[in-house]
Amino acid sequence: MIQPPPTIPASVEVMPAARRTLRNGVELYTLASNDFEVLRVTFLFRAGSAVQQVPFSATSTANLLAEGTRDLTAQQIAERLDFYGSWFDVSADRDCTYISFCTLSKFFAQTLEVAEQILLHPAFPEEEVAAYCAKRRQRLAIERTKVDTQAREAFAQAMFGPAHPYGVSSDEKEYDHLTREQIAAFYASRYTAENCFVVCSGRIGDEELAAVAAIAEQLPQGGAAAPVRFPEPQTRRELFVEHPGAVQSSLRIGRLLFPRQHPDFVGMQVVATALGGYFGSRLMQNLRERHGYTYGVVAAMVNFERAGYLAVATQVGTDVTADALREIYAEIERLRSEPMPAEELELVKNMMTGEMMRILDGPFGIADVTIENILCGFDNSMIDENVRRIRRMTPDDVLRLARNYLPREELVTVIAGAKSPFDEKL
Amino acid sequence: MIPYRKTTLDNGLTVVVNRDRASKLAAVNLLYKVGARNEDPARTGFAHLFEHLMFRGTRDVPDFDLRVQLASGDNNAFTNNDYTDFYITLPRDNVETALWLESDRMQGLDITPGKLETEKKVVIEEFRQRYLNQPYGDQTMLLRGLAYRVHPYRWATIGLTTDHIASATLDEVRTFYRAHYRPSNAVLSISADLEEERMLDLAAKWFGGLEERPGAAAPIPQEPPQEEPRRLEVVRDVPASTLTLAYHMGGRTSADFYTADLVSDLLSNGDSSRLYRRLVQERRLLSTVNAYISGDVDPGLFVFTGQLLPGTSFDAAEAAFLEEIEALKTGHVPEHETEKVKNKFEANTLFGELNVMNKAMNLGFYEMLGDLELVNREVARYRAVGEEAIRDFCRRTFRPENCSTLLYQAKTTE
Repeated sequence: MIQPPPTIPASVEVMPAARRTLRNGVELYTLASNDFEVLRVTFLFRAGSAVQQVPFSATSTANLLAEGTRDLTAQQIAERLDFYGSWFDVSADRDCTYISFCTLSKFFAQTLEVAEQILLHPAFPEEEVAAYCAKRRQRLAIERTKVDTQAREAFAQAMFGPAHPYGVSSDEKEYDHLTREQIAAFYASRYTAENCFVVCSGRIGDEELAAVAAIAEQLPQGGAAAPVRFPEPQTRRELFVEHPGAVQSSLRIGRLLFPRQHPDFVGMQVVATALGGYFGSRLMQNLRERHGYTYGVVAAMVNFERAGYLAVATQVGTDVTADALREIYAEIERLRSEPMPAEELELVKNMMTGEMMRILDGPFGIADVTIENILCGFDNSMIDENVRRIRRMTPDDVLRLARNYLPREELVTVIAGAKSPFDEKL
Repeated sequence: MIPYRKTTLDNGLTVVVNRDRASKLAAVNLLYKVGARNEDPARTGFAHLFEHLMFRGTRDVPDFDLRVQLASGDNNAFTNNDYTDFYITLPRDNVETALWLESDRMQGLDITPGKLETEKKVVIEEFRQRYLNQPYGDQTMLLRGLAYRVHPYRWATIGLTTDHIASATLDEVRTFYRAHYRPSNAVLSISADLEEERMLDLAAKWFGGLEERPGAAAPIPQEPPQEEPRRLEVVRDVPASTLTLAYHMGGRTSADFYTADLVSDLLSNGDSSRLYRRLVQERRLLSTVNAYISGDVDPGLFVFTGQLLPGTSFDAAEAAFLEEIEALKTGHVPEHETEKVKNKFEANTLFGELNVMNKAMNLGFYEMLGDLELVNREVARYRAVGEEAIRDFCRRTFRPENCSTLLYQAKTTE
């Protein structure tokens, strides 16, 4: 039979999040949907590593929240959450800390009791802090024996400079000096009403909402609300991290651009996707399919609260490092010199639209996207607006963006591996 | 709870549909009732090789992946010992693109010598990378060979040897296609925000015209009861020794299945489970430990496995496992403990029903089992398991003569 004509959704509507402001100023967002018997509550604090004064204090605070509280030991917390089949998840990036609880509706109240302990009464017991620091120090030391970790850290440093909060990486020995007082101090100054908002999704009714509000309203006001001042980035164009004996080199190529709020961010996402965002992308075709230099290569736009950048990442054999670099530069150059064929651009747009819809499938996916929007100062209508922007992109737009933003002399190149390719002509 | 409707087309294709009012996507799942257990012992790895070939294009659609991507879709597939599963998610309005592509490749596959050669190479590389050139890569293969003498579960989905894949011929591939890729050997399941009636109509529109090719799968030789303990010791270049004990148990639809599942959760689901608490944390005999059921359709295995810490002997580890087994056979299982794993099971089941993909896949799986209603009764079945059933199951199952023991010894460096 003949092919049914595919239609590409011209718009992707997402339910708006209902918002209410609590007495202490915390904003509580709700994405209620009774199609499910589960719910998730995420507390977000602007308490990422970029605002820490002491190395590793932000992630350590986040990871130690559930390791003993005023009324419960670490083991009791684990046992209780386990008993109700509830999930607790915490993660911290450069800007924020995310603390999520997922539970069956029928065990909501019991799970929230534990959540209250974790959020409001963490004790950071001395012995738990010591055990945590020892374990993390070891783990980081092992991580840093990998070329990929070395390249990732060096790339942040090359783009932002070693003193910038987005560029800094600290010696793992710093874990030995981290104290429970420093962690408690970070908690006291950052886990406050001013730095917090909450997103609830799934089966959440008035009663559940009131219970979440009752916890969030206990967050104290008056912490460090003033934004930390960031210095100007100090960018280096080339950086080589020597790793004797490495059989593969890890490569990062890209440049500092702008955060998601910038009018060209979405357009650059299209450029990045065409370059290395899917299996049939230009870099994948070139480096993997045509040359066999690598198993995989990706390109993407990365967004921080106060910055954004484009990055290409791959690992290639030591002996083909310079060749692979030449090919990557050539593919970037090709985006700047030849208009993208209409069919290729169409494919990229369709895939990006589909990918957005897949991320949004299910109540928790919608919550994740909502959080990202709130952080950027958008509401959920922005998703539809972004899909429309993607759909409006023309080959001329791609050409213009690539020419504007990806000239060879602006690219930052970082290599971790056995041998520097910078001595060769690239 | 996944509401559904089911019908069977005249050509024998079973269709199951679920309306999901919240999603903007459609998930289309096509399950073929053919897996490694249907293979000729001299041509193992064939079902999986064939799954790869299903992406190599048909007479009318040479570029499967591209068509999916142009419709904003994403697709993949997997093969196990019991069945082969293909799935696509895409915007709801493009559901017909998925149906078109799947109906097209159910009968129109264009298998050429060139494509077969290419795909053989890819699969042989996969074999090397995942099973040969990987620490512990051959462990489950060795265990299968030890526990099964007759049943095709004695080989893994990837096959017994790369030679079997290398020697597959075009004729064999075509015969396999005709025998297994036909309407009455498949289950089509769809989950989307569409009227159920509409989804059933679309299934009939795209698949109704396919011709049923008569055929019946050859009966699968069933494993006779094991009558004496089996032991195998191997030495490999790995960082730590592992000990594995495998006991035969009932199949996926047997009365024992949920009891076995619950017992495995008591033993090793989470940090507060028995084996982790006792053998890893308290006695410090093992660095990791696991108890799991293979979950196969035909009678499968209940497996204990653990990685030994440097000072632990195989004897000590084995004795420790047997002590935990003895505790289950004779001791008391507090209600708090079973309630915990039951809550977890329920939560994981519901967390798994949040998107259209998982729902379509689940519907296909339970229909393949021959008990579609089970998709919504699993939690109740699991919850119904009581202390007496646990003790009874453990006594019947965990007997020395029903056990295969694999000692996977790390090569010492001196």
